[in-house]
Amino acid sequence: METEKKVTVIGGGIAGLTAAWELASSGIHVDLVEKTGFLGGHAIQYCCKAVEECRQCGACTVEAMLKHVVGAPGIQVHLNSVPVAVEKNGDFSITLKKGPVYIDPEKCTNCGECFAACGEGGIVLKSYSKNNSPLYAIDAQRCAEAGEKDACNACEASCPEAAINLSSKAKDDTIHADAVVLATGFTPFDPDIKPTYGYGKNANVVTGLDLEKIIREKGGVIRPSDGKAPEKLAFIQCVGSRDDRLGNLWCSKVCCPYALRMAELIKKKNPEMEITVFYMDIQNTGKAFPVIYEQLKTDLRFVRTIPVDMFPNKEDGLETRYMNEGDGIPVGEAYDMVVLSIGIMPGPENETLARLFNVILDHDGFVAGHKGVDRSLTASDGVFVAGTIEGPKDIAASKAHAGNAANDVLKYVRGGK
Amino acid sequence: MKEEGHKSNGVIRISTDVLVVGGGVTGLGTAAKIAETGYRAIVVESGPGLWGGGPAMPPLAGIDEGGQDNVNEVLDKVKKDDLIEVMPHTTITGVAGVPGDFHVKLASNGDKKELVVGAVVAATDFLTRPLNEAYGLDLSDAVLTQTRLENMLGYGPDADDKAAESLSGKSILFLAGFAQEGNPITTKRVLKSVLAVEDMGGSTVHVCIGNIKVAGDGLERLYKEGRDKGASFYKLTEMPTVNAGGKKNAVSFFDPVLRETVELEADTVVIEEEIVTDGINEDLAELLRIDLGSSGYLQKDNVHRFPVNSNREGVYVVGPARDALGMAESYTDMGNVALELARLFGDGTKEVPSEIAVVDREKCAICLTCYRCCPHGAIYWDDKAVISPVACQACGTCASECPQDAIQVNGFQDDGIADQLEECCREENASGAPLIVAFCCRNSAAEAEQMATSFNMKLPEGLKTITVPCAGKIDIDYILSAFTEGADGVLVLSCHTGNCKSETGNAFARWRVNDAKRMLAEVGIDPERLCFETLASNMGPEFSSIVSGMEEKLKEMGPFHVKKAG
Repeated sequence: METEKKVTVIGGGIAGLTAAWELASSGIHVDLVEKTGFLGGHAIQYCCKAVEECRQCGACTVEAMLKHVVGAPGIQVHLNSVPVAVEKNGDFSITLKKGPVYIDPEKCTNCGECFAACGEGGIVLKSYSKNNSPLYAIDAQRCAEAGEKDACNACEASCPEAAINLSSKAKDDTIHADAVVLATGFTPFDPDIKPTYGYGKNANVVTGLDLEKIIREKGGVIRPSDGKAPEKLAFIQCVGSRDDRLGNLWCSKVCCPYALRMAELIKKKNPEMEITVFYMDIQNTGKAFPVIYEQLKTDLRFVRTIPVDMFPNKEDGLETRYMNEGDGIPVGEAYDMVVLSIGIMPGPENETLARLFNVILDHDGFVAGHKGVDRSLTASDGVFVAGTIEGPKDIAASKAHAGNAANDVLKYVRGGK
Repeated sequence: MKEEGHKSNGVIRISTDVLVVGGGVTGLGTAAKIAETGYRAIVVESGPGLWGGGPAMPPLAGIDEGGQDNVNEVLDKVKKDDLIEVMPHTTITGVAGVPGDFHVKLASNGDKKELVVGAVVAATDFLTRPLNEAYGLDLSDAVLTQTRLENMLGYGPDADDKAAESLSGKSILFLAGFAQEGNPITTKRVLKSVLAVEDMGGSTVHVCIGNIKVAGDGLERLYKEGRDKGASFYKLTEMPTVNAGGKKNAVSFFDPVLRETVELEADTVVIEEEIVTDGINEDLAELLRIDLGSSGYLQKDNVHRFPVNSNREGVYVVGPARDALGMAESYTDMGNVALELARLFGDGTKEVPSEIAVVDREKCAICLTCYRCCPHGAIYWDDKAVISPVACQACGTCASECPQDAIQVNGFQDDGIADQLEECCREENASGAPLIVAFCCRNSAAEAEQMATSFNMKLPEGLKTITVPCAGKIDIDYILSAFTEGADGVLVLSCHTGNCKSETGNAFARWRVNDAKRMLAEVGIDPERLCFETLASNMGPEFSSIVSGMEEKLKEMGPFHVKKAG
């Protein structure tokens, strides 16, 4: 019988979950390392975009994969953990810096009192998925920052099960692995880098990711300022992507699909709503796209330009100006709500990971797939990549990439030919 | 047809050989990957293929970085690995059996042959088709297809290195994205050629293009390089007019940026090509009993499956056979096929899963309703219907459709569902809240219900849920029994169209609900008491609003009085 092989997967988003699940299904012991208090990454926050008919966004499959992983006996999950040191002597010895775990999962009954005590948008965080356990987590860093000023302890006091202990201490850990899969994903483009859109200042300027969360939680689109459905809605594509001035010379691949799918869904639910999509080039959303696109052209208004400024108006709406196509006359238009289709940027931890695991970053800051057509291999023996750490991908492509990484890992740890 | 079942203690032995359809770089690459995993791969190709003397450079391979290296590497592996057998000039004439035991009939130069394989992989390659007719242009030395240009530039399937010189000092105009929407592969072909021409120096390059499809690795960078090197890109919404009659091609179009009509003269016009799927795909879909997707690709999109898995266990679809994918993405698919095969085959024995559908051979009248409705091609017959335990995915569609009630799904037997119904309707609720029975697909609605419960979303007091493996398992009898047991209203909650893990389970559920509504109306029961809705697993808030809405409606309608006698 083969001795049990151990693989560390870093990152608990859809790629990490998939790699972990595939490896565990093949009899490998997996340590799954996640920096936050929850599994699921970005993709678990996305909404279903079906318009009676499924639009293949894949958001529901993240739930399914998360459920697989939390139920898998061969996967040990390390939450609030990041690798800080790596030694390679045959196998990998990885030091994990672990944040304190304030909520005892054994005692927590998921009643949500702590979340209510801290308030929406507070330091107690709620899981997007029902499959995380506990469903609540306390952001250790933010709590520490706040705690020095005023030891509020509201969450601790609110817990009927005495499951919260804010004086829990962090404990570092060392894990061993025969191979490593890097799957830390991406970071969404920070809209503050383009301040003229007024994100953060004007409540009704939201990002695509914000809109995903709104639809997922509220079941439809609402304006953050007043909770009402907008009458005029605009999507601005390529915010942060395909931006020569920022040096971001890549298409994020996912923004046209997510924006068009959400726009289609919103239009279906609110046929009266006027939806405008500002774009440079529309990218495909699947192999049936030519057919879907024809319908979209009648339901949505496409304007081939990217507006630069957004000015708030009296009705909490936004005004913008752009050159009209054809006659070139500047037009001013007002919207009740504006969605910035922010793109996929390299993760903030890529440089650290590159140093720790001896992998190479490409000119854009993603981890470079190393050898020819196999995009799961890296420059470092025994280190593999899965998902958007290697470059923009949608959910399906991330899963496929993770499956291929798992297959490469199996070959590596079992010494195939 | 008979299962090669040496069943002992719930374990059956299966074949671990794999038939790969397609002898191009995708098929051979897949075979190499399968052999790497330790299984035997047999490649069939109706033409000569890459191995049997076809062009050394497959179409489109030249546009990928390291494309030719990959082709060479694949050919080398095929040469060295005795787990790979390639059969050029061979066609498939029939496929029978079940995963682990497919019987494949082959024809080769008049010879007939039969093979037993455990799995089949469809790995057909792309073909290209010139779109000059859509532009109203005849091909000539001044009007080229994309492929011809690639050959001239030295990286097409019939590369001619010397031909590039004739392009030097010329003005070249590319037309793309007007005769078709295009995709990252068609865009990449244009961008690669633009750069290759620019790199020769001395030429002028113009590109008229619709939506430039840069959603592929490195394409935005190529696009920028092309512009930096001097190519002019005109992004238009209308197809330009080209007059190829004169000494030079006269091109005219309205440029929305300059807001004026632009007139250009080009020595050479390069017309985009369409990427088309192998014509064999349609026949393959029928032979393999898998779904045909849009534009001739195999495989309907279904997010619940890994992209390479088809609706049938043991049948996989790779790379260009399933979508407009380049070489690296196809390679990723091959890795996933290897992973799936290892899962399916293991060491060649397979434990029979407990949760499968079984046929009561006493009751079976061999009407073959089950064979026709099974979305997973899991049913065959000897003198009675037989369900392959390897292929069955326990959706229960057959069990609900069987007119003899001869099929039961382990874990979801009719008796068990009846008991559950009786139990949930027996409980008295003091509040007098309407009793709602919701049949929930376990892949979607049951998950959404759990989400709603976990996060304390509003749910009616009188809500009772019954989980089924797939909405396809919801018998019309279940729905009617719910009313006779005393439910005030019944909800059938399935996946969205196109999201059913078993393809058509949700469609069957919808039909049955419509039938049941008709029956209810006939006996004077308001059909509004029965509702069909679709959900996804991550739609907790929507679940809450659907069931709450149902409660409101039932409150207005008042209680339903036909209680079960006794």
